[in-house]
Amino acid sequence: MSKEARPSWDSPMQFVLACVSYAVGLGNVWRFPYLCQMHGGGGFLIPYLLMLVLEGIPLFCMELAIGQRMRLGSIGAWTAISPYLGGLGIASVVTSVYLCLYYNIINAWSFWYLFHSFQPVLPWSECPVNSNRSGYVQECEVASPTQYFFYRETLNVSSSIDENGGVHMGLALCLLLAWVIVFLFIVRGVKSTGMVVYFTATFPYLVLIIYLIRGFTLHGAWNGVKYMFTPKLEQLANPQTWINAATQIFFSLGLGFGSLIAFASYNHQNNDFEKQAVAVSLINSSTSVFACMVTFAIYGFKATLNYESCLERMRVLLLNTFGLSESDVSIDNVTVWISHLNHTNPEMFATIASKIEVCSLEAELDTAVEGTGLAFIVYSEAIKNMPVSQLWSVLYFIMLLLLGMGSMLGNITAIITPLGDLKILSRTFSNETLNGLVCLVCLLLGLGFTTRSGSYWFTMFNDYGATLSLLFIVLFEVVSVCYIYGLKRFEKDIEDMLGHRPNWYWRVMWAAVSPALLICLFIVYIINYIQGGTPTYQAWDKDLGRSVVKEYPAYGQAFIALLLISSLSCVPLVALYEFCKRKHRGQPIRQRQTVCTVSSGL
Amino acid sequence: MKMITRILLLIFLPSVIARDLCKDGKDGYKVRLSIKTALGDEAYEWNESEMFLFRSSLAFAMRKYTQRETFDISNILVCNETKRVSFVFVVTSPNDSTKLIPKDHVASAVRQHKHRINSAFLLSDGTLEFVGIPPTLAAPITYSTQPWLIVFGVVIGAVAVGIVSLLMSTMTRRRRAADKGVDSGQEEEQMEGIVKGNGTSLTRLESKDGVYNQAFSNDERFTKL
Repeated sequence: MSKEARPSWDSPMQFVLACVSYAVGLGNVWRFPYLCQMHGGGGFLIPYLLMLVLEGIPLFCMELAIGQRMRLGSIGAWTAISPYLGGLGIASVVTSVYLCLYYNIINAWSFWYLFHSFQPVLPWSECPVNSNRSGYVQECEVASPTQYFFYRETLNVSSSIDENGGVHMGLALCLLLAWVIVFLFIVRGVKSTGMVVYFTATFPYLVLIIYLIRGFTLHGAWNGVKYMFTPKLEQLANPQTWINAATQIFFSLGLGFGSLIAFASYNHQNNDFEKQAVAVSLINSSTSVFACMVTFAIYGFKATLNYESCLERMRVLLLNTFGLSESDVSIDNVTVWISHLNHTNPEMFATIASKIEVCSLEAELDTAVEGTGLAFIVYSEAIKNMPVSQLWSVLYFIMLLLLGMGSMLGNITAIITPLGDLKILSRTFSNETLNGLVCLVCLLLGLGFTTRSGSYWFTMFNDYGATLSLLFIVLFEVVSVCYIYGLKRFEKDIEDMLGHRPNWYWRVMWAAVSPALLICLFIVYIINYIQGGTPTYQAWDKDLGRSVVKEYPAYGQAFIALLLISSLSCVPLVALYEFCKRKHRGQPIRQRQTVCTVSSGL
Repeated sequence: MKMITRILLLIFLPSVIARDLCKDGKDGYKVRLSIKTALGDEAYEWNESEMFLFRSSLAFAMRKYTQRETFDISNILVCNETKRVSFVFVVTSPNDSTKLIPKDHVASAVRQHKHRINSAFLLSDGTLEFVGIPPTLAAPITYSTQPWLIVFGVVIGAVAVGIVSLLMSTMTRRRRAADKGVDSGQEEEQMEGIVKGNGTSLTRLESKDGVYNQAFSNDERFTKL
């Protein structure tokens, strides 16, 4: 008659690897190197590590404590802390749903690139020829082959968010595959997830090490690494540096989605989450730094390549215009020759003056890219120039897939755990059916991101779906735990679980420092939203061969508002609902309950 | 005296005319070779013999293009040679050495046989340039089945097999547990009845391994709200 007891991880190692696999994601690879470059190279580590200590580790530990204590997903856990706080759990689930919808598209793109790496010539290394074979396709000429492959052949992107198109069948198939794999990983809940995380947490490190070795042996990689490690400490005076460090720590650890609560709910009561929290946070940050080194080695290689091909172009231009012998001008003395010919032959030099480019290595290194542009355009451009590029391409996209899938595991667990805890659903559906339904619904809704304007919707979700809401959720969480549930009560719970009370560091961070930091970030975000004016996005212009900034149309802005309001409003709405329910029942709002069960009959 | 002048004129006239035809440059094309860029250390020197090879390969291209007229090496005139290794050439008609073959014919001939001319010099489209005649690019490779679909099919097939086997094993495990449960189901039903009669509904506990009853653990157990 009794259902099975709550499943649990086979060993604490599985739990730690699951947290690592969730926290170490694509953001470590494509956001942190960009921030490092923008904010003074090695100097950025100072605010980054400081924020890790002040904000990252305490909040991470708090979420693990809540999950392990309540042994329920986010909805159940917050309802248990106080029935008025159930909305916090619902807000987490809503935000997780938005994240799941758009995050798996990145995995679909990675699959697309991975499958296209199994060709004798990588498709993004050359432009396709046009119909009468007299030249290359116009769009590819204006842009570059890698950009053409991403925007035209992968996304088939339209020129604005208004122009919809059909679904890209190839991408839809890849999305289907991504969701089927996610289903395979979570079909048995923690048991299947626990097996998978051994691989998804460790293999990316293997690939990163291989890439580090490959990267450092590339021609010109040292320029990039040197550029990264020369700290520009004057950037520390810029407040934006500190804000970016705080937000990066916050989002990189994946707080507020309910995934950590869900993972920890499958722990045994006496699991030492405190040490594990510190370990996982440190692993996450060191992975960011590690990935940064690899990225800068690749940047250095690419920048040196561009610089040398610029010099080569200038050399050929000089040779052709002045009829010099090839052995006279080499790449090293191009600049010398330019000034020499300018003096000796000014009239002829004037004819090519418009075509002379200034080749600068620093300018190449200064071009910082983040996000999908870094992962799919810059990296693939570097890979196509490596020898045996198919092998490196396969390795790289498998790594991206594992990072993305690992994070997806956490995201989807954040949804299925609270849903599985709800009595109504768990009575009607078995675990597997429920998980399958969630995956199916997310797949069908996610097909919208495979249309021609899909990547613009993706950007919208990425920028607004899970940013402000998370700050609000985590701020509310830490305030609830410290002041509504009571810090003393929380410490007692931890003592019950671990055998000792948390020391002064945790208490000070939870009660004062982390909430203060989160309030600052929240205010900064609100100010940015207000001051930023109409929200804009980058649209691909196929005639210019680059992205242009466009404003969202009215319905786009309404949708952004809907995204924000739908998750933020859960908290007050549920509190209000509970308040009215109790008033209606005639029960006292504040009650000393003699018998209270943990589940409130949701 | 007059004879000698006439003879001299006759000897030098063709070359004078030839140089004029070439230097006019209306129907001629400029050619650029980048031998050192292409071959590096194995680069050969550009000299008279190489020029001879060029003229003969161009004559060959013209012959194959027209398929009737017999072009000879004397029909290919070259001028404006530089150290870059670049020069201008024109093609004269085999029947009348003062008439030039029009530009577009020359271009078509070169375009059709560029590959042969390239191979003669161990160069490629990029390193042997005919300024004004863009090379015909290689046709794109067409596959009967896209290779990516093949890899996709393999992966999704493997995943589908994995899911089916996992689901089957779960179902057989459940069926086995249900069969075992049927045997001891009798006594459990009795117990359930007794428990239900008490008033406290223990069915709420069925999915948890016990409930932390907060009222009985400590004093400070009330939510402050």
